[in-house]
Amino acid sequence: MSEEGKDTRSFWQVFKAGLIFENPLLVLMIGICSSLAVTSNVSNGIGMGLAMTFVLVFSEIFISAFRKLIPNAARLPIFIIIIAAFTTIVDLVMKAYFPALSKSMGVFIPLIVVNCIIMGRVEAYSSKQKVISSIADAFGMGLGYTWVLIVIAAVRELLGNGTFAGIQVMPVSYTPILFFILPPGGFLVFGLLMSVNNAIKRSINKREALAAKQVSDQQKAKENA
Amino acid sequence: MKNNTIKLGLILAAFAVVACASLAVVYQVTEPAIASQAQDALNASLKELFPEATSHEDITSAVSSSDETVKIEEAYLVKNDLAPLGVAIKASTASYKGPATVLIGVRLDRSITGVRILEISDTPGLGANAASPTYYVDKEKKITFPGQFTGKYITDKFEVKTDVIPITAATVTSKAITKIVKVASASAGAYLQAMALGTAAPSATSGASQEATQPAAEATSGASAEGTATQSAEPAAETTSGASQ
Repeated sequence: MSEEGKDTRSFWQVFKAGLIFENPLLVLMIGICSSLAVTSNVSNGIGMGLAMTFVLVFSEIFISAFRKLIPNAARLPIFIIIIAAFTTIVDLVMKAYFPALSKSMGVFIPLIVVNCIIMGRVEAYSSKQKVISSIADAFGMGLGYTWVLIVIAAVRELLGNGTFAGIQVMPVSYTPILFFILPPGGFLVFGLLMSVNNAIKRSINKREALAAKQVSDQQKAKENA
Repeated sequence: MKNNTIKLGLILAAFAVVACASLAVVYQVTEPAIASQAQDALNASLKELFPEATSHEDITSAVSSSDETVKIEEAYLVKNDLAPLGVAIKASTASYKGPATVLIGVRLDRSITGVRILEISDTPGLGANAASPTYYVDKEKKITFPGQFTGKYITDKFEVKTDVIPITAATVTSKAITKIVKVASASAGAYLQAMALGTAAPSATSGASQEATQPAAEATSGASAEGTATQSAEPAAETTSGASQ
């Protein structure tokens, strides 16, 4: 199963797909639960995003490198062992060197094990692709996840608490809109961001279609001449 | 078929063994750092409650809670070089959305040196204001919710809306934390009383921190000189509390 359906896109194209066109949160819409839960402040968003990216990158590298040794029938438990190992490493390292961050994210770090973004990418992508494409995919997906978390968290923290990464930004007279810190606010910001992402996608598609049309027009003109 | 199953099992086992081995290595490397982080955090918070403290001793097994809904998690007898200063207790109970954990310090004269919210998972902006350093229940004097307990005596009423100002729109949180303070400070008082009577010798409990044993011995032997002052102060505190009841 490994060689057919190989991804022929370049490293950069695969990476870019994760950021916008196949963004795990905004387009694939997986792993939303934990991302809405941790985005009540920016530092949590950054921490969670980087932790996810780390686990994603190393799980994809390992699974892609060993994809021919992993028997199809036992692949899921093996994926989980690998993902759980890297998640535990992140958890231990954060506890040892970033105790404050580890405390504020609580249970969501261990829960990376069952995050469907990782399981989804490993199953759908790196278990079939070369290591180099898997690295591109992991970084694209990981950073695509991270930037969305940071944007959601920034909006929610700014409006809901008047701060950015813990620093008071809004004037003291500003009354925080609690709604944004609470779960419904997370859904609202997430929905708005999805529509913004769709608009960006559409405009990029339009521009590319336009460029392609111009090229073909020019070719036609040349042929006619 | 049977062979295949065994083969799959062996492959799975091989992956698991490699993963376990690498985790063991990471654990070995990070374990001392994690332990020292926890120790530092504890020392820092004890230092906040008792700035003059130099050592502490684990007395968790000697302190019990009078209310089954409040759990005493850890208790320490805090000392300076000469004598005990008071008791610090970490206790928790159920709050609005999960456990609330509080560290509270009680001096020998039964006054509360301070209350620190260690863990609260209540609604941000409402119950979570208990732990916010900028949320004031008394805006003029800039007193935070846990800050208002400082200086109270363990014999006070600790009733929300009577002598405790609640957090706006977070009565459950306010009541939960007040309950911890009330129960834990009573337990601390009971321990201090037992210690003053000599029934709970502080050095009898094991698990004392490294330097703790030495000052403890000095404290008990030097009790005649240093202890008389504190001991005469304690009954005074008790009589005033008895009068207020």
